[in-house]
Amino acid sequence: MSETSMVDFTYVILFLIGGLLAAIGPFVISNLLRPRVFNRKTMDTYECGMDPFGSAWDIRFGVSYYLYALIFLAFDVDILYLFPVAAAYDRVAGIRGAVEFIIFVLILSLAVVYAWAKGVFTWPKKKILS
Amino acid sequence: MMESLMPELIRMVVAAVLVVAFVFLNAMIMGYLERKLSAHIQRRPGLMEVGPHGILQLLIDGLKLIGKQLVIPEKSDHFLFRLAPVLSFAPVVLPFIVIPFSRKLVIRDLDVGLIFILAISSLNVLTILVAGWSSNNKYSLFGAVRSVAQNISYEIPMLLSLLAVVLMTGTFSLQGIVAAQGKIWFFLIQPIAFITYIIAGVAETNRAPFDLPEAESELTAGYHTEYSGMGFSLFMLAEYANMFIVCSIATTLFLGGWRGIPLPFGDYSGIIWFFLKVYGLMVFLVWIRWTYPRTRFDQLMNFCWKYLIPFALVNVLVTAVLVKVL
Repeated sequence: MSETSMVDFTYVILFLIGGLLAAIGPFVISNLLRPRVFNRKTMDTYECGMDPFGSAWDIRFGVSYYLYALIFLAFDVDILYLFPVAAAYDRVAGIRGAVEFIIFVLILSLAVVYAWAKGVFTWPKKKILS
Repeated sequence: MMESLMPELIRMVVAAVLVVAFVFLNAMIMGYLERKLSAHIQRRPGLMEVGPHGILQLLIDGLKLIGKQLVIPEKSDHFLFRLAPVLSFAPVVLPFIVIPFSRKLVIRDLDVGLIFILAISSLNVLTILVAGWSSNNKYSLFGAVRSVAQNISYEIPMLLSLLAVVLMTGTFSLQGIVAAQGKIWFFLIQPIAFITYIIAGVAETNRAPFDLPEAESELTAGYHTEYSGMGFSLFMLAEYANMFIVCSIATTLFLGGWRGIPLPFGDYSGIIWFFLKVYGLMVFLVWIRWTYPRTRFDQLMNFCWKYLIPFALVNVLVTAVLVKVL
């Protein structure tokens, strides 16, 4: 490893340590100063003042979130490949780089077209149970 | 080896201390500005009691928050619940390493600067999920789920808009990108990328009109409902620091960074221009927040996927062709 990149890494690690210390420091001070008052409901989960009903960990949420996460995965990984391309773009001679770039992005955008055609972006109306 | 590193190490420690101090100061300035501006937008005086026009209010608030009890709900995951605020605050000091404040004032100009910032700021999603899940509170969990869906979706237009700039400059170093804007600032050449970036940035920092994760009328406070005292204030500090980072990327990439009409301060005029632009953008974000109503969640997601991403993709394509043709 060259000296410059070692200095780079030292900066990053030192700043990470600094950030952690700056986050933990106020906690320590707060731990020394805080009051410790415990009433009957202090440690309860907050649910607008009512008694908490069940646990939040077995709650179910809409499947749409999962679909968005799936297209995101497909999309984001592909965009990662575009960043090195962008950095080396001016080293490719002529129009060839642009053509290859366009082909890649067109195939990439099929992900959005597919999801759109499949109806991921139309949220079904909630059925009201009578 | 160690002899030559010594001045560099001192520089690192001084820089780290300054950045941490600045993160706290920035939260105080922004907290004051946000409350005062929102008050004036709503035609009320706002903070008036502590100090002239209430400028000392945020100092008192900080002291008060340190003195508050830390309540850890019995049914939560205790370890993760304590860890989440620390995890959310620790990475926000890292992007300051590469932000170019002036021609000479940059802590360390990494040559992967832009990717470094993007990588660090996407950690934010993880901490929100940890906070929301470990609270074992329904509001927190729903807020966290929404926040994750929103943040990962809006990351794509953000990446695409930055990609258009990188295509033009061919470098990830922020100092290099500022240097490339000598003749003309990029928001004039790349208006679509600039607008996309600002919209995505508002969504990434979870602010109105995209503050669905913290929609107080339905979710109380979203993922930090259960946090009190220092835990809550670390989330707030991180949010304001993230706002600063988003605005400073916008300034560096689109608004010419530290460039501006020369002021009679020599080398210091770069810093003044940089901070003027960044705080101008932040005031703009506050203005948006208190002017527009909240969107609905499906509208929010579909706005990203149906409009922002196609526009950003076309913008990237056009840029790629124009760079080669011109």
